Amino acid sequence: MLDKYSCLKKLAAKRTDEVVVTTMSVAMPWAELSDSPLDFAHVESAMGHAADFALGLAIAQPKRRVFVINGDGSTLMCLGTLVTIAQRPAPNLTMIITENGTYEVTGNQPVPGADRIDYEQICRGAGIENVSTISSEAEFDAKLDQHFSGDGPQVFIWKIEKASEPVPKPKLPIRERAHRLRKALVAE
Amino acid sequence: MLNANKIVAALEDQGVTHIVGVPDNGSRALFERLWEHPQIEVILTSREGEAYSLASGLYLGGATPLVLIQNTGFFEAGDGFRGTAYNMGIPLVMLVGYRGYKTMEPGAPRVDTAATFFEPTLKAWNIPYTAMHGDEDIGQITTAFAKAKETSLPTAVLIVPETA
Repeated sequence: MLDKYSCLKKLAAKRTDEVVVTTMSVAMPWAELSDSPLDFAHVESAMGHAADFALGLAIAQPKRRVFVINGDGSTLMCLGTLVTIAQRPAPNLTMIITENGTYEVTGNQPVPGADRIDYEQICRGAGIENVSTISSEAEFDAKLDQHFSGDGPQVFIWKIEKASEPVPKPKLPIRERAHRLRKALVAE
Repeated sequence: MLNANKIVAALEDQGVTHIVGVPDNGSRALFERLWEHPQIEVILTSREGEAYSLASGLYLGGATPLVLIQNTGFFEAGDGFRGTAYNMGIPLVMLVGYRGYKTMEPGAPRVDTAATFFEPTLKAWNIPYTAMHGDEDIGQITTAFAKAKETSLPTAVLIVPETA
């Protein structure tokens, strides 16, 4: 199993000008590592819709890598998005699914199908070809560069340890965060 | 019938770069024209809620998207609409097919709740809207873009008769 905080720290250390969209249990740990206008905490938003949001960013910004770090619960809320991602492939999109089988911010209740779902198989079945499941730190270190340079759309499933996170509360309201991101991406 | 070519021309005038949505019978001809368009890209989503989040990402990345769905999908898209386009303050124009409009006429044999729930929901969700009943109303698209830009919020134009 992976330690989520260690993985995020390594990702943040390598990150330069990529957009990073985070969701529930990753948003605040990521905010402790990075305060870039290219970060977007997809909270106070629409449940399960971070990956499709990131796809839109990736299509509009084809020269810039876009990461979306989604939970397993968030991914389940909109599985059809995996098909949408496959049918309109964005070579610059990297999706990470942090899988530990629980809703971390609401008290670690199990997500539907926890311990039975094979996310890699679901992604491949949806038509995404570049999919990796990572379970150990050694595998993670070996694939870290690929997160930044691999042909998208690509999905990395991080098998992470169970953890508890508070409800994420970003410093800025979502509208301000959104327009900060646009300002960073688009010269107006 | 609404002239699909005239609608496409109105979208060109507004610099629309992407159409995001799910086709229905009423928008069939419009989708067919858009698929052939050399500059406007059509992106189909698996469900309508995705259309709002994907379009919001497109806008924040510098594109000019438009959402094209039917009212039935609009109901499904509630959280996607609220949590992305509305909360983020995206000046997004949506064209929404008005399924069941004629069933609200007096004497209709049955009422389609997709129609009767529609405008009350638009009002409840604080979405300004106008409707296109004929080609003379296609200019409402231009007005909607101006309204969305002025308010930095989503605005709807309803497609009442089918496009052709």
